[in-house]
Amino acid sequence: MIRLRNVCKSYPSGDTELRVLKEVSLDVSEGEFVSIMGPSGSGKSTLMHIIGCLDVPTSGSYQFRNQHVGELSPVELARLRNQEIGFVFQNFHLLPRMSALRNVELPLVYAGERKDVRRARAMRLLSEVGLADRMHHLPNELSGGQKQRVAIARALANQPSLLLADEPTGALDTATGKDIMTLFQKLNENGMTIILITHDPHVASYATRVIRIVDGQIVDDQGRAGA
Amino acid sequence: MNIGEMLASAWDSLSANKLRAFLTMLGILIGVASIIAIVAIGQGGKSAIIDVIESQRAQQTVEILPKEVVQPGLPQPGQVLSFSDEDFFIARQFHGVADVSYTLSGQGNVAFRDKAVNTSIEGGPNDLNDLANFDVVTGRMFTSIDVLAHRRVGVVSHSLAQKLFGNDASAIGQVVKVGGQPVQVVGVAVSNQFNLLATFFGSDYLYMPATTCKDLFPWWNISEMDVLVTPGTDKADLARRIVTALNIHAHNADAFIDSSGFLVGIEKTVGTVTSILTLVIGAVAGIALIVGGVGVMNIMLVSVTERTEEIGIRMSLGATRAAILVQFLLESVMITVMGGAIGILLGISASWLIHWFTPLPSVVSWQAVVIGFFFSVVIGVLCGLYPANKASKLNPIDALRYE
Ligand SMILES: Nc1ncnc2c1ncn2[C@@H]1O[C@H](COP(=O)(O)OP(=O)(O)O)[C@@H](O)[C@H]1O
Ligand SMILES: [Mg+2]
Repeated sequence: MIRLRNVCKSYPSGDTELRVLKEVSLDVSEGEFVSIMGPSGSGKSTLMHIIGCLDVPTSGSYQFRNQHVGELSPVELARLRNQEIGFVFQNFHLLPRMSALRNVELPLVYAGERKDVRRARAMRLLSEVGLADRMHHLPNELSGGQKQRVAIARALANQPSLLLADEPTGALDTATGKDIMTLFQKLNENGMTIILITHDPHVASYATRVIRIVDGQIVDDQGRAGA
Repeated sequence: MNIGEMLASAWDSLSANKLRAFLTMLGILIGVASIIAIVAIGQGGKSAIIDVIESQRAQQTVEILPKEVVQPGLPQPGQVLSFSDEDFFIARQFHGVADVSYTLSGQGNVAFRDKAVNTSIEGGPNDLNDLANFDVVTGRMFTSIDVLAHRRVGVVSHSLAQKLFGNDASAIGQVVKVGGQPVQVVGVAVSNQFNLLATFFGSDYLYMPATTCKDLFPWWNISEMDVLVTPGTDKADLARRIVTALNIHAHNADAFIDSSGFLVGIEKTVGTVTSILTLVIGAVAGIALIVGGVGVMNIMLVSVTERTEEIGIRMSLGATRAAILVQFLLESVMITVMGGAIGILLGISASWLIHWFTPLPSVVSWQAVVIGFFFSVVIGVLCGLYPANKASKLNPIDALRYE
């Protein structure tokens, strides 16, 4: 499903350049549950943004479901993010002036779904993550765990094939984090491919495969399916 | 992407900061309101002046005037300022002429006991009330017999009656001194048209038979010949033929003119002058609109910067650049259209207030409303385009990382 070859990412920094990712090659198959661990600043988020087509590598190639992402137009990229990829962020990234329901509807809006379809699907998703009674609340009226569940419902709105989560439990207490991880586990059991970044070994233990990154390089890759 | 959802989300963003949205639309609001009010006053003034001129032109009458009176130039030998008896004789010979009368006017003192009022005095035929647009509300109008017999009778305007006698009723039958000569008041007149000029120049009038007037003021020029035409006669053609005959008689091809052409000329001039005035003041209001537009652009730029994270989130959820562009454009247009709409209401209200509380008439023109609305949309698009484009060009990841 995901095929990264010699991906590098660097940022200009003064006279030199800051090399954030160095020759990263990675394959992820459908249905895998991968967690990425590594110290802060090691390039985990950068890697995830590239996988999620939010960012482009400085060099190297990236194929998503056999399409060369580098060859896609901006509109095709937007469509890919909309249809194939769901994002969950550490700090939730909900739109503050919209209710939980409208936040979840947003990917469906960009997918061009009709209003009644959007509404019905968003309500179903929010019920599935246990927020049936919080649909019309604004994000600042929700707890951290509830916000993250809204974000997950939103990420799932267009039934993506890949779910990317950047430290989804980082801002949550242990118990709530556990709830969220159980949710991810259920999703994975239903066939969803998940890539999850975390610091927490306990959180990582939910995954079937753990990748460690240090200083922009993959140093360890355990539990690879079929490997 | 769904326009209803986009409108809802534009509305959300604006209502999140209501005061700012209102202040931003203020420039557009004031600009549109003043354009509508100014055009309304301009149009109103123009149509009022033209009404006055139009009403001077009685339906069945051709007015002939010495050209020097209406288009004064340097005094020249042989210039004609007044009609002679022969001129009237000539005019009467034409087929299609029912009657020929004349009017003459000037200023004179009208005195009653110890009171004296400087008054506009007009002499004319017994249908002077049609020519000069007044109704006799008390007493009677002077008759054709009065005119023929040079009777010393007159009709005073309401305001003159108030000044000299206190009320209309007690004016009837009183004898006033006009230029030292006694004249009996037989009627009181009220103007039957809105007269813009009267509101500025007062309305003390004395109307008398033309013959009487000529007796009292023999030195006044007879500066207007009123030819009553028989029904079915081509007025313009008759006027042309009479003018030609009179000019030949006066040995001066330019001695007399027919007032209809002259009035049309004035109407054109009045139209042009008020149009130019309206345009100039309108341009000032247009500048207010432009300044308002710059304000909108400024706030939209601030808004794009403030909402960088939101833009990143939307892009991560699959918003295309076009969707982001349209979203911000819509917000900008929503601001200016709301400003424009409130401005239109305000402009119309202002026009009504001016109409009610001042003698200035005002006519709200639908063109000004349409133009005002059109400009608010255009300004919204033009001033929103740059910020919206900037928003749509953001890199999703930079936008997401933005703190
Ligand atoms: N836009 C950028 N410009 C310059 N440096 C950046 C930019 N984005 C990320 N970095 C740098 O890249 C490195 C890796 O960042 P990140 O991928 O967020 O690390 P992690 O998620 O593993 O903590 C950090 O040192 C960070 O400062
Ligand atoms: Mg990170």
